[in-house]
Amino acid sequence: MPVSTHLGSQLVDLCSVLLLLCCFAIVAQRRLSACVDLFALQSVFLAATAALVAFLTGHRHIYFAAALTIVIKVIVLPRILRKVIERLNVSRELVMNVNVPAGLLICGALVIVSFFITQPIIPLGYLLTRDSLAIALAIVLIGFFTMIARKKAVTQMVGFLVMENGVFLGATAAAYGMPLIVELGVFFDVLVAGLIVGIYTHRLQDAFDSVDTSTLTVLKE
Amino acid sequence: MTTLLTVLLACYLFGGLAPLCLPRRSNLQNLLAHGCAAAGGVVGLALGVVGLLAADPLTGSLSSNIPYLVFALRLDALAAFFVLTISLVGLAASIYALGYMAEFSGRLSLAAIGSLLNGFLLSMTLVVLADNGFFFLILWEMMSLLSYALVVTEYEQPGVREAGLFYLIMTHVGTAFIILTFLILFQETGSFSFEGFRHPDQRLPEGLRSLAFFTALVGFGAKAGIVPLHVWLPYAHPAAPSHVSALMSGVMIKTAVYALIRVYFDFLGGQFPWWWGFTILVVGSVSALLGVMYALMEHDLKSLLAFHSVENIGIILLGIGAGMIFHTYGLHELAALGLLAGLYHTINHAAFKALLFMGAGSVLFVTHTRNIEEYGGLLRRMPWTGACFLIGAWSIAALPPTNGFVSEWLVFQSLFLSFQLPTLFLKLMLPIAAAMLALTGALALACFAKAFGMSFLAQPRSTHARHAREVPMSMRIGMGLLAGACVLLGLAPMLVVPLLDRITGSLTGVAIGAKVLALDGWVVAPVTVEFSSISMPVLAALLVGVGLLGLLLARMIGKPLRMRYYKTWGCGLNLTPRMEYTATGFVQPIKRVFGTIYRPTVKLETEFLEQSKYFIKHQRFEFHIEPLFEKYLYKPVVAFLLAMADRLRIIQAGSLHLYLAYIFVTLVLLLLWAV
Repeated sequence: MPVSTHLGSQLVDLCSVLLLLCCFAIVAQRRLSACVDLFALQSVFLAATAALVAFLTGHRHIYFAAALTIVIKVIVLPRILRKVIERLNVSRELVMNVNVPAGLLICGALVIVSFFITQPIIPLGYLLTRDSLAIALAIVLIGFFTMIARKKAVTQMVGFLVMENGVFLGATAAAYGMPLIVELGVFFDVLVAGLIVGIYTHRLQDAFDSVDTSTLTVLKE
Repeated sequence: MTTLLTVLLACYLFGGLAPLCLPRRSNLQNLLAHGCAAAGGVVGLALGVVGLLAADPLTGSLSSNIPYLVFALRLDALAAFFVLTISLVGLAASIYALGYMAEFSGRLSLAAIGSLLNGFLLSMTLVVLADNGFFFLILWEMMSLLSYALVVTEYEQPGVREAGLFYLIMTHVGTAFIILTFLILFQETGSFSFEGFRHPDQRLPEGLRSLAFFTALVGFGAKAGIVPLHVWLPYAHPAAPSHVSALMSGVMIKTAVYALIRVYFDFLGGQFPWWWGFTILVVGSVSALLGVMYALMEHDLKSLLAFHSVENIGIILLGIGAGMIFHTYGLHELAALGLLAGLYHTINHAAFKALLFMGAGSVLFVTHTRNIEEYGGLLRRMPWTGACFLIGAWSIAALPPTNGFVSEWLVFQSLFLSFQLPTLFLKLMLPIAAAMLALTGALALACFAKAFGMSFLAQPRSTHARHAREVPMSMRIGMGLLAGACVLLGLAPMLVVPLLDRITGSLTGVAIGAKVLALDGWVVAPVTVEFSSISMPVLAALLVGVGLLGLLLARMIGKPLRMRYYKTWGCGLNLTPRMEYTATGFVQPIKRVFGTIYRPTVKLETEFLEQSKYFIKHQRFEFHIEPLFEKYLYKPVVAFLLAMADRLRIIQAGSLHLYLAYIFVTLVLLLLWAV
């Protein structure tokens, strides 16, 4: 393996690990605005990874994806979420389904599970990003876990977006990115999801005086 | 034949689609929808007769992209007979509907009801023509769903919605069993085509065949309304508009009879164990007896008729069951006779039950109530309806010389011929079934004495009945058509039996038509002439002759008839309709005799005047009979299901987090399992 490729692979791995660290930070964070900031930071790392892959492999369209990541996930979405937080006047996640230490432990377990699951797949790959696959899966699972563990609708949205980041990283890692048209579609979806959550939390606040999704239990039959 | 079939399908399709495209002119929509349905009925009658007379079955198919699904049709003698039956009733019902729909005009969309009716007729016709298991199931479901939509026509009444739901559940349970039957047959033959099912060189193992027998009985029995699967019938049939009730009770349940004959004699034919036929016989006699007993206690005219469908399905099954038993022991002529009797009763029941439902519909049309206790004296006000209803009642009570008599007599004959069977047990059991049938007949007569007498005779019991008028012409034509069919089918067995013989001949392998009809068809003599024989035309002539003779004698010998109209003496009181004999009173003795089965509860509340106990201010009488099967069979099942559902409800917490957690855990477990 040439040195540059080896170095590139190391760099991609480093970026992936930083993405994963952001996940842990989000799980450990109680302040909503900090969660959003951490998500934005994670998206920066994601964009960096994508750009790195684009540079190393010469797949030009991944640059485009990286740019879109910067615009939508680093600038637009965090802005929407901050506005929601500001308007609803909710700054802290006071009650959680799972407390922080337990949550971190579970996340650790999820990382192990992810590596265990992807172990038979990774040696089969030939891409320089192949080691990131396990990390991508871990990020997806942690994002999912965040949605379960947190009660406020805003954090659930952050969890969803983290999941999406994981999927994006996975796609980059497993196949050097998706076709451009698919990537555009995904970004559009994410943007719409962000807008919907903005409206949804607002309605929730109107109806229940809270953005705690547990209040939705009264809707069951 | 192909042309006739194409025209038939085109009529129903056009009648189903065209009214929906018309502007909101309800008269035109009505005329178009029911005109097309009637045209389809006429073509169907022709197709049925041609199909019965044809030497070879007509087949045609259209393949599809879905595996095993072939849109195959096959018109053999059995299918043609049912097409004939469906078309006969369909024709009468469509003509009747032209006038009857005025009831719904302005309230509901006539175009929608009319086009549903066309679809219903189309699906029923195609069900008996289908030649592929998959295709059959699709059509069967179509028939069930369209009839459900028609049942809930008056959906704004909660009772109707409940009846519809009940029907929907029962029919789908039935369909599940039918699917099982076809899967068993598919498993062994590797094909869904009916030709594959009846392939003789691939015999199923005995156990699987018996399982198929049982699942078919439950599956089609639920639609036919055999006891104890009959419980939906007295709710759903009366809830529909009357011409739809006529179709459901008259012919829809007959598609189940068709399917049972198709599966037992055609697919599982050849040799089968004696207890199959015996089971059918037991089911038939129990259905017949319980059906009529519950009908007797019913004072809702349409529910009463619906219970009689249970009875008559029982009688049809008695004929088929006897045929199956004879078939087991190789007595093919007797097997053909039993089957023939069952089929004869099938078309007869279709004619008179549809006629009675239309009669009930006419009464409902003018009085707006289904309660017999609120009728009375309608014969004078609606003579045509009364006459038609009387012919129907005469037929269903199996009085000569109508059609009900001929077919029940044939069923009796085939049951009595059991002395030719080798085993003592069956030699004894078949006459017992005949005895139950006899009791059924007697009770049916009592029931229709009640239904006709309380509705059409004496004085009106309510203002509605007092202001009744005769119904519009198209309704009278619809009823008259079927009344004519009842008389014709009764007087002319020599026309009907040769046609039926072609069906039983193809299913059992022997032709008995020539033997059954002696003296050029003027005498019906089942197989062995020495045993018994009957001639319907002579019998009818005798009945009329004796009547005329009596009148003549009275004229000649007796004094000239002198009539004096005077009030009946009522102990010094004025006679009012409240003093009339009521339907409840009429059935009281029977209720007492069969108290163990009915388990009646009587409630009498009396309110006295304050001054004295001897002056009654107000009195209220209520009586109910216990719905045996609903209480002891269905309630526990429903309670069990609800309890299980309650337990399962724990997982439905309504919490978003919990639902996400379900997905999450499933995802992680699946990923781990995949490794």
